[in-house]
Amino acid sequence: MVQATTPTAESPPRPRAETVPPPEDEEARTGALGERALALARFYQGKIETVPKVPVRSLTDFSLWYTPGIAHVSRAIEKDPDLSFELTGRWNAIAIVTDGSRVLGLGDVGPAAAMPVMEGKALLFRYLGGVNAIPVPIAIDTEDEFIETVVRLSPAFGGINLEDIASPKCFRILGELQRRLPIPVWHDDQLGTAAATIAGLLNALTLTGRDIRTTRTVLLGAGAANIATARLLIALGQDAHLLTIVDQKGILFAERDDVDSLSLRNTWKYHLALTTDGGGRRGTLAQALRGADVVLAASRPDPTTISPAAVRSMAPKPIVFALANPVPEIWPDQARAAGAAIVATGRSDFPNQVNNSLVFPGVFRGVLDARARSIPDEIVIAAARELATHAQDRGLTPEHILPTMEEVGIFPHIAAATAETAVRLGIARTRRTREEFYAHALEVIQHSVHLATRLLEDGLTLPMPDEPPGGTRGTR
Amino acid sequence: MSHSTHPAKEPKGHEAGPIASSTLPIHLRAATLDDVPALVPLVLRLKSLNEEFDPLLKVRKDAEKMAAEVLTRDIKDPEAIVLATEGVGADKDRIVGVVRARIRERPFYAPEREGVILDIYLLPLYRRHGVGEYLLEEVTKAVKAKGAGVLTAEFPIQNHIAASFYNKRGFRPTMGLYSRPL
Repeated sequence: MVQATTPTAESPPRPRAETVPPPEDEEARTGALGERALALARFYQGKIETVPKVPVRSLTDFSLWYTPGIAHVSRAIEKDPDLSFELTGRWNAIAIVTDGSRVLGLGDVGPAAAMPVMEGKALLFRYLGGVNAIPVPIAIDTEDEFIETVVRLSPAFGGINLEDIASPKCFRILGELQRRLPIPVWHDDQLGTAAATIAGLLNALTLTGRDIRTTRTVLLGAGAANIATARLLIALGQDAHLLTIVDQKGILFAERDDVDSLSLRNTWKYHLALTTDGGGRRGTLAQALRGADVVLAASRPDPTTISPAAVRSMAPKPIVFALANPVPEIWPDQARAAGAAIVATGRSDFPNQVNNSLVFPGVFRGVLDARARSIPDEIVIAAARELATHAQDRGLTPEHILPTMEEVGIFPHIAAATAETAVRLGIARTRRTREEFYAHALEVIQHSVHLATRLLEDGLTLPMPDEPPGGTRGTR
Repeated sequence: MSHSTHPAKEPKGHEAGPIASSTLPIHLRAATLDDVPALVPLVLRLKSLNEEFDPLLKVRKDAEKMAAEVLTRDIKDPEAIVLATEGVGADKDRIVGVVRARIRERPFYAPEREGVILDIYLLPLYRRHGVGEYLLEEVTKAVKAKGAGVLTAEFPIQNHIAASFYNKRGFRPTMGLYSRPL
């Protein structure tokens, strides 16, 4: 996914595949990757491990790292619990918590089966953000049990990353934990995806000369990501009366038949039904898209979900984000042929990949470095703006509205923007300048990459058994 | 029941919806037979919601006709109360809420007469502005005027929003209704 380069090294955007890969090739490729992942999982038996970060020369050192010396450290934290962020690894540790109820596209596979995915996420956190992320899949029956469990785990961590939890329960779980815990709580499927979407959208609006306050926007799909995106859009000035949310039942409006049911089962979607009231529209996706400036689709992997005719019915120079994975709601070349000025997808083999991995490593680096007490929407928006700015710095074009995952240099920048926002909002436990935050984030991330590289070079991390020595390590 | 206008609570900022400009000058009045066609869909929306809670609350095929019959009966019946809420702005001449209550005799308990709220429904855009509370106040006055010494409300036990609405307003669960199909 990411080359083993230092975070400052940035490769230019690579040439893009413009043709649609035949679906059978995609399936074959995914199948081959799956087989290989299974073989490697059997070989490595886990993707992360704990490693000491203090010198251990002999057992006598343990009188400092452990009893009796360590009792002094415990007493200090007892007097001032916030010292746990200074005197232990809490400042850089997060839990990746899941109930395994919505893992990737697999559905409710349960906590044990979620573990390999959480380990992979931990690896991304570590490699891209220098964060010590501990996978914690938990066996849980109810939302309240989930919330209670995470609350009880929280003293060990400087942040909580909720992962792969089904909608709509993810909303209440995130909201309750954010309310109850004195550390940042993040749900990547909502906030990470929404931040990346917003970043791309801000640049797309700039490129097509639009003002978000007068933009008519359609959100196709009302799952975790789009519900969060809707909230952030409104916070950014989107007129709720020009925002139309469409789901399987068509346009969501206040008097739709299922709205009473939503009031009981999905408060967040219910609230959006009331505030947007269909953006003044009624009917189907076709009615929603007529004359619309933007469509942000996060619905189902079917390339016929948005028809070329529907894109043609949009306002001139429309913006089309077709974010379903692995297959977008409309193929990019079809959308462009139908007049779309800017197209984004969730895939790396097309231009403009909206990818939550662009967001979470930097955001967590930032809130951890600021020792933030929470992670309000202002921080999510700051991260999105920073991501957008970074793409601007390299020149905005319809094919380049977002940085790519190769541009690992963005992560310390996002971290600095995030941490600075936390300080400005008065939710940071530490005060540093943006430059200091940047330097620290860069150092921590570089250390992490350096460690991974050295362990591999020294043979302490075993080379992949199915590759020749000195083979294709570190490349795609 | 006389006509009255209620300056409902100012909505909270983050809940501001399309109609939440300032206050809602809600107009509440006793329903007439002319209102029945407009009241029926509101009652049906409420019954359709109830259907989701339990298979024993499955809405009948002839529910629309029955709603019209029940509303007509209760509008005429001195032992019942049907109040209609008119909307604001574009909804000015439209009925956006309904509350239906009946007086029941309590042969074994004191107070002897009970007002029971059987239907209370408000279109979504009119919620969260204190209108529901206003409906409750007005129906309370109306059943009191008919000699009721206790007010009750019937709703599916799993409707936690309804439970919370009544709990916050001094109601407590007193009787249970357990069901099984035969």
